[in-house]
Amino acid sequence: MKFRVYRYSPESGLKPYMQEFVVETTRGMMLRDALLAIQEQDESFAFRHSCGDGVCGSDSVNVNGLNMLACTTPVAGLRQPVLVRPLPGRPVIRDLVVDMSQFYKQYRSVEPWLKRQDPLPEHEVHQSPEERDKLDGLHECILCGCCSTACPSFWWNPEKFLGPQALLTACRFLEDSRDQAAEERLDALAGPYKLFRCHSIMNCVEVCPKGLNPTKAIGRIKAKMLKGSL
Amino acid sequence: MSQGASGLRAWLLQRATALYLAGYAVYLLLFFILTPPRDYGAWIAWIDNPLHAVGLMLFLGALLLHVWVGFRDVLLDYVPLFPLRLALLALLGFGLAACGFWALRIIMAPLLI
Ligand code: SF4
Repeated sequence: MKFRVYRYSPESGLKPYMQEFVVETTRGMMLRDALLAIQEQDESFAFRHSCGDGVCGSDSVNVNGLNMLACTTPVAGLRQPVLVRPLPGRPVIRDLVVDMSQFYKQYRSVEPWLKRQDPLPEHEVHQSPEERDKLDGLHECILCGCCSTACPSFWWNPEKFLGPQALLTACRFLEDSRDQAAEERLDALAGPYKLFRCHSIMNCVEVCPKGLNPTKAIGRIKAKMLKGSL
Repeated sequence: MSQGASGLRAWLLQRATALYLAGYAVYLLLFFILTPPRDYGAWIAWIDNPLHAVGLMLFLGALLLHVWVGFRDVLLDYVPLFPLRLALLALLGFGLAACGFWALRIIMAPLLI
């Protein structure tokens, strides 16, 4: 099977280029296995990966124009030659390895932890099954970055627009019955940039390997904001 | 507060004006199909009805606001350079205001005769 992978090493002084590799496929082969086979052919080829099972979110790459996790993508269904590029819009450190600092910074900016005003009880804070259900579709995010780096609004304004991932996380804490900082959280998202650069393009929904829907989460935040201001 | 206003309010304005624009577009379409005004006199008679005049002015206002929010979005997305963005926003504002007053004059003219 034919692969063309993005190669770039800032130290080399060469411009980025696509390098072709032929990989012998095996039954049930995932793209991550193919990348490992490529690495065997050329040790200088770099990419991130860890768990190999769609849990750690390390090996997100852009394949034939769509962001996906290499470890959960079977090579069998891919159009050849398979074009493998780094996540779009992020500075390339080397080959498929990109600098995700901005993405993590936006994640941190929504203060992704529970905040309580009441004194903490002796035991854990209780939550009804219905309250817990509200977190479904929000808490499963593995921070792979496929969504935010597929979002045009994040490409244009990565410093000011939080991006789908951080906004999904913001929604996750706004929906949590144990959190008591909703107003503060909503205030922090005010203004034209942080939240409202989202134009419901929905690239994030298309690429999320966990099947999450950041656009819907953003809609829920807007509805909460509206409720709080009318 | 003003921060919140420029995000949420613009978004709300866009949705609300879109609703009116969509409704009015359907009305206009039906109007032109069912009872198209044949001549200038018919137009004058139509606009003479305060209901029609107010509806049209609201349409005009909604359209201008909608265009303002839409273009502002485009400028916020694609023009990161602040002085340039400010200049373009001002230009847009003046342009839209000019369109508004001009259209208002056209609507009001027959009423003033
Ligand atoms: S929302 Fe989905 S695509 Fe975005 S970071 Fe989380 S798991 Fe990845």
